[in-house]
Amino acid sequence: MSGLLNLADVSVHFSGLKALTDVSFDAHAGEVLALIGPNGAGKTTLFNVISGYVQPTAGEIHFKGEPIQGLTPHEVSAKGVRRTFQNGGLFGDMTVLENILTGLHVQIDSNFFGLLLGTRKADEAERAAAARARRLLALMDMDGFADQQVKSLSGGQQRMVEIVRTIATEPPLLLLDEPAVGLSPPMRARMMEVIKRLAGEEGISILLIEHAIDLVMAGSDRIVVLNSGQKIAEGKPNEIRENREVLEAYLGYA
Amino acid sequence: MTQETPKVKPSLMHNTRIFYLVPLVAAIIPFFANDYLQFMVNMIMVYVLVTVGFNLVIGNLGQLAFANTAFFGIGAYMTAILMNYAGFTFEIALVGAAISGGLAGLLASITALRGIRIYYLAIITLAFGELMRWVYIHAESVTRGTDGLPLPDVTVFGMSMHSETAKFYVFLVITVLVVKGTSNLLKSRVGRAILAIRDNELTTASLGISTANYIILTFVWSGSVVGVAGAMFAASTERVFPESFGLTEVIVHFAMVMVGGAGSLIGSVIGGVVLTALPEYFRQFPGMEELFFGVIIIAVLLFLPKGLVSLLAKVSPLFRERYYRE
Repeated sequence: MSGLLNLADVSVHFSGLKALTDVSFDAHAGEVLALIGPNGAGKTTLFNVISGYVQPTAGEIHFKGEPIQGLTPHEVSAKGVRRTFQNGGLFGDMTVLENILTGLHVQIDSNFFGLLLGTRKADEAERAAAARARRLLALMDMDGFADQQVKSLSGGQQRMVEIVRTIATEPPLLLLDEPAVGLSPPMRARMMEVIKRLAGEEGISILLIEHAIDLVMAGSDRIVVLNSGQKIAEGKPNEIRENREVLEAYLGYA
Repeated sequence: MTQETPKVKPSLMHNTRIFYLVPLVAAIIPFFANDYLQFMVNMIMVYVLVTVGFNLVIGNLGQLAFANTAFFGIGAYMTAILMNYAGFTFEIALVGAAISGGLAGLLASITALRGIRIYYLAIITLAFGELMRWVYIHAESVTRGTDGLPLPDVTVFGMSMHSETAKFYVFLVITVLVVKGTSNLLKSRVGRAILAIRDNELTTASLGISTANYIILTFVWSGSVVGVAGAMFAASTERVFPESFGLTEVIVHFAMVMVGGAGSLIGSVIGGVVLTALPEYFRQFPGMEELFFGVIIIAVLLFLPKGLVSLLAKVSPLFRERYYRE
């Protein structure tokens, strides 16, 4: 078994409805793997089953060689598989910067008494975290919003903040559910660029659901195509572009 | 929407260091205050800490836990008991009050951790306060029941603390240290974790933050701060009575939090000051004290649901709570 995440014959049946049937693929460390397919193909179900929100009817899922099927969402998250949601769980009463800082929480090296007394070490750890949070926001061109309340941002901007906050936790594997939906075209391009850079420079592996096919072709290393709950193709963007079955099923060409 | 927030170098008016002026200016009060006024100023500091501690649980953590009078009473009685029976001086008894308040906070946190929330948490913690009052009344051999437990001569580091002026300076140092320590905690990952739990406990956990530990920490710190306030209260009145820690007392504490501003440290200070000083002022008009108290709570909650501090926050960003430092 190779790769960071391995799916072996994963099936999900909801009282007779076959949402996923025998789906197998591997996601490798440091790659951007895109999941595409028409509506109802089972992409979101696949995300839910990986992140523990839905239990598989059959099949096995391994992360870093350990089985993760049957774990709760919190346990999957603790293993290092983190996901974003369409309607993210941002902390609305905090500023953008403070939200990012909660993502950095476990990396801030300070203890209770250091923080209480305001020791230099604790102070510097806090300041360094704030500086890192600003740098992460700058990655997404969001640094201008750092001191705004999250509540005052648009939906697309909030999604950006949620992604930055999830990235801040330094997850080995990040599941992004349609990160570019609702974003302006320049922001979408920026988002894909950032996703690519995260995988390349930070070594974060990314599994991505995306409808905008141009973004997927330009931004991902490999693509898995689902149709009616089954994997119909897997390969590099140029292979997928020329795959006859994909063209028929998904891209709409005859 | 503004794309860029312009970076301004903080001037004195935008620097939170300006708050250090408050205790410095307050330090001159004894030069013109008579004993009565001095006593009231000392009481104000007691209630500032009562509100600071309570607000952590109510405002920052967002838990309807009303064990505050229990923390307050335990701090006060522990001080009186340690000074009477163990011969401790005030500074040692103060540590005992902080520890016992913190332990009471730990006890109160167990209910919240066990998933008892909202109305259930409110009623259980109110019952905790009433139970403690019953203990003060009935543990007569130790507390002397309704007669109250007097404090022996209050001394700190060998110096008498009997005069209102001496108490004032001791209280001022304690208040500044506790408020500064609380501010340090809130402007750090601790403060952010507490707030994140209030907003969305599940998301907080998904970021790898141990929500249970921070719920315990908030209750313990809150209990310690209010326990210290109880010690100051005991030193100020020099005799502790069970009736000081009843249900009306917790309503007063709650009003101080809400009128000052739930979830705001500066709001706690304002709430403690305003709702101690103004009712006292209105006592010169018979019957007006309670009327005033009711009216200000209703008016503030109707028109300023985020408390008096929200008025100031409109004027200057200094009064807006920040949970990080740069």
